[in-house]
Amino acid sequence: MTTLLWNLFYLLVFPGLLFSVAVGLLLAGLDRKLVARMQRRVGPPLLQPWYDFLKCCGKETIIPRHAKRAVYLAAPVVGFVALLTVSLFLPVMGFTAFSTVADLVVILYLLTLTSAAMIVGAAASGSPFAGVGLSREMVSILSYELPLVLVILAVGRAAGESAGGVTFSLAVIGEYQAANGPLITHWSLIPAALAMLFVIPCEIGMHPFDVAEAETEICEGTLAEYSGPPLALFRLTHAVKMYTMTALFCALFLGGLTTGVPALDAVILVALCAVLTFVTMSLPHAACARFKVEQVFKFYWTVVAALAALSLILVWLGL
Amino acid sequence: MTTFLNNFPILAIMTLFLGAFLTSLVGRRFAPARNVLVVLSVTLPLAMMLALVKPVLIDGEVITYWMGNWAPEAGWAIGISLEVDALSLFFALIVTVAVFVSALYSFTYMNHDDSLVNYYTLFLMLSGSVLGLVLSGDLFNIFVMIEIMTFTSVALTAFRNRQEGALEGAFKYLAVGSLGSTCVLLGVAMIYSQLHTLNLAQIAALLPEQAENPVLLAAFAFLLVGFGSKAFLFPFHPLAADAHAVAPASISLMISGVLTKCGVYGIIRLCYVLYQNIDLPFVQYLVTGLGTVSMFVCVTMAFNQHNFKRLLAFHSISQVGYVLAAVGLGTALGLTSGLYHAMNHTIFKGLLFLTAGAVQHQTGSLNLDELGGLGKKMPQTCLLFLIGAASISGLPPFNGFASKWMIYQAAFEKGAETGNFFYVAVCLIALITSVLTLASFIKVAQSVFFGQYNEKFGQVREVPLAMRLPMWILAALCVAAGLLPELVQRYLLTPAVNAVFGVANYIDQAMGAGYAAAHGIVETALPELAEIGCWDPVSWLVLLFCFTCAIAIVALLAAPNDLSRVPVSSAREDGEALDAKYEPFFSGEESVYSQVGGSDLFWGFKHNWRRYFRLMHDWHSGVVNDYTLYAAVAMAAVLAACVILL
Repeated sequence: MTTLLWNLFYLLVFPGLLFSVAVGLLLAGLDRKLVARMQRRVGPPLLQPWYDFLKCCGKETIIPRHAKRAVYLAAPVVGFVALLTVSLFLPVMGFTAFSTVADLVVILYLLTLTSAAMIVGAAASGSPFAGVGLSREMVSILSYELPLVLVILAVGRAAGESAGGVTFSLAVIGEYQAANGPLITHWSLIPAALAMLFVIPCEIGMHPFDVAEAETEICEGTLAEYSGPPLALFRLTHAVKMYTMTALFCALFLGGLTTGVPALDAVILVALCAVLTFVTMSLPHAACARFKVEQVFKFYWTVVAALAALSLILVWLGL
Repeated sequence: MTTFLNNFPILAIMTLFLGAFLTSLVGRRFAPARNVLVVLSVTLPLAMMLALVKPVLIDGEVITYWMGNWAPEAGWAIGISLEVDALSLFFALIVTVAVFVSALYSFTYMNHDDSLVNYYTLFLMLSGSVLGLVLSGDLFNIFVMIEIMTFTSVALTAFRNRQEGALEGAFKYLAVGSLGSTCVLLGVAMIYSQLHTLNLAQIAALLPEQAENPVLLAAFAFLLVGFGSKAFLFPFHPLAADAHAVAPASISLMISGVLTKCGVYGIIRLCYVLYQNIDLPFVQYLVTGLGTVSMFVCVTMAFNQHNFKRLLAFHSISQVGYVLAAVGLGTALGLTSGLYHAMNHTIFKGLLFLTAGAVQHQTGSLNLDELGGLGKKMPQTCLLFLIGAASISGLPPFNGFASKWMIYQAAFEKGAETGNFFYVAVCLIALITSVLTLASFIKVAQSVFFGQYNEKFGQVREVPLAMRLPMWILAALCVAAGLLPELVQRYLLTPAVNAVFGVANYIDQAMGAGYAAAHGIVETALPELAEIGCWDPVSWLVLLFCFTCAIAIVALLAAPNDLSRVPVSSAREDGEALDAKYEPFFSGEESVYSQVGGSDLFWGFKHNWRRYFRLMHDWHSGVVNDYTLYAAVAMAAVLAACVILL
């Protein structure tokens, strides 16, 4: 009974629903504020994403005539649920709610499932703008997937060397870092960490890699037809992804640091996520114009993939 | 009781062949009698194979049946035998389930065609031959069954011979397929010339003594290429595309789900049991390399197809590539994951081919550039397609995820153990291939089931229940195999893997106890199998369910507006005026037909890879001479490599 209650607590409060939603929306607000300040605007209040979300929830849900109703409405829910499941596996510094032997592969697939849900929802809306958007979204998935896989292989090899070759387990990676210092301090993994920093904004679909949602070209692409609560859920997914991806970076490269108190750990993690949000999202957002879709693909399969591959080779050679 | 069960393998094969002949005798006049015959002849073998599950898979017995009771004399197997170990039965179950589903689907699916009696006769012969192949204990019988299998499937490919390309596809399959069969025959002849026996068990006992014999090495190369051609591995893959595009969907299911598995079965028997040379690095490189190349080349080929079934055909080779890459690792985990994926592939690819057949049956088209919006017209088919697509793309919680996950793990562990970067590359390519698979199924979803409906197809309706039922069976299997990987492993995979590694037992059961030991084949310790434990789908499902409930409650509370007010049916059908609110957004312009699908998707990717795609385009010329040349080159290359390097 107690286990069940604890599991419910993990699911709904920490580190599941409530925590990740709160942190996600906070990071989204922070990003907007930071970009605004860098562009010499006042910017919205920090809680603006909350207000947007709540207001969107109160709006009418319009289902277009060409839409496939059930899929159109189910897609946001599936995507959001898959992403929340990811947050349960991510360690909050020292604390992990659920742990499996190969959670990295599971996380990789659940992230893909989140994007796939968005794509299927867009397809089900029957809009030509969404058609173009989903095509671009898929290309950006293809772009970041190769570097992301390379990074995970490199980290898995580096942390798993002592534990029988290789590991896809975040717990093992955490233990290794607790014993040997965070992986970012290993020089051979610095290129992989850089590559991962590039992967984060593309995975989330942040400007300048937001080819799939390009408001000015294709009217928010995948989201063109969405309105009301489903749209709110997509926006929320987007915000939670900011937390998930930055926390994944922390787990892979900054793990092992723990104070022993979960609440304090959570505060440290949020602070780290905020810094990463600034570096990987707000800075490029303020500094760059949007890439074209083929440029995104080329950039990730050449520069970023090369960085990650370099790390993988170095790690494989035992350096 | 056990003695009676011993007759089941031969009875199952006979039922199918007998059914074929009786169908052609009786079925010309009485269609209902024909249908009853077909149902009987596909159900009985399935029941018999299920009856064998207990003794063979659970108790680990090997059932040997000597035709005419010609048991071996003085250590020489003279008669023809059937030998059913767990590996054979594993594949036999795949075969009989696929045959059953395919027959069930055919009854309604084929109702636009004539001369159905020929169809069912050929279909049952094809089924009998593949079942005979996996149950046989005799190398020459395997060749005979491969011949029957090739020729019946060629005839069935050309069954709709009024359709454009049907005869062409069949002819290519015939020409290059016979080349593959010839390879098998040559290999069999060479082995017979050296060892003077055709019994698999006896060959397995005698072969390792002569491992250096160059003739036997050449035979290995010929058999490998021959079986590879039956699995349509690279460079035989263009044939599959041409054949699948024109064959009836029920036959596509057979070719992709069953025939390719026979090739895989042959390769496993060859490398693990007959030659027992899977431990050699060269063999591992060869098999895994072939699998990896097939996996990658075919998925990129599938990316650019405009025909629904051609696309599926390329994916089918790509997935067989996964299987072979895992099998070639030579580890217990590799073999387990390979067999698991082989089984899953039959299920989900069968499902996808049947949904393609449903679309073709209702619209008459398979063109991804003109279809669209069928999800509203055929909701169940759409849902079934999404299940199949999620499975093949390896999305949790379906079966493709579990087996692909095991394949990555197996490849990476192998790489970590040997310190060989090759296997890491295999793992990487497998992961990327999986994303490309997802991409091309999103293309199909968008082009066929979502987006706007093309008015030129008139009023399309959902397929009848008789066609949906087989699809639902396969979809249920997809979910079951994905949610219960531990049961699948315990009752199906582990017995099969143990049978493969227990060569000595396989020999002794056929040739008499002590025969293997006399020829220096020792009973090896059964490999320690890793539990899949790390992927625990049931608790996950609970998790996902909890979340979905939570979200639904939140969404309902947060959405005071009544969802039921939203019109479900289209305004135009109701004869009402169009409400611009429910039209697609067109920046204030009038709404027009504007389906984005087929060739228009994924431009950024195709643009960056244009040189590669141009090369592939030139290479898959569609000329049968070229394809024969590729086959001959592959044969020569494997032959040279095997003789020189082994």
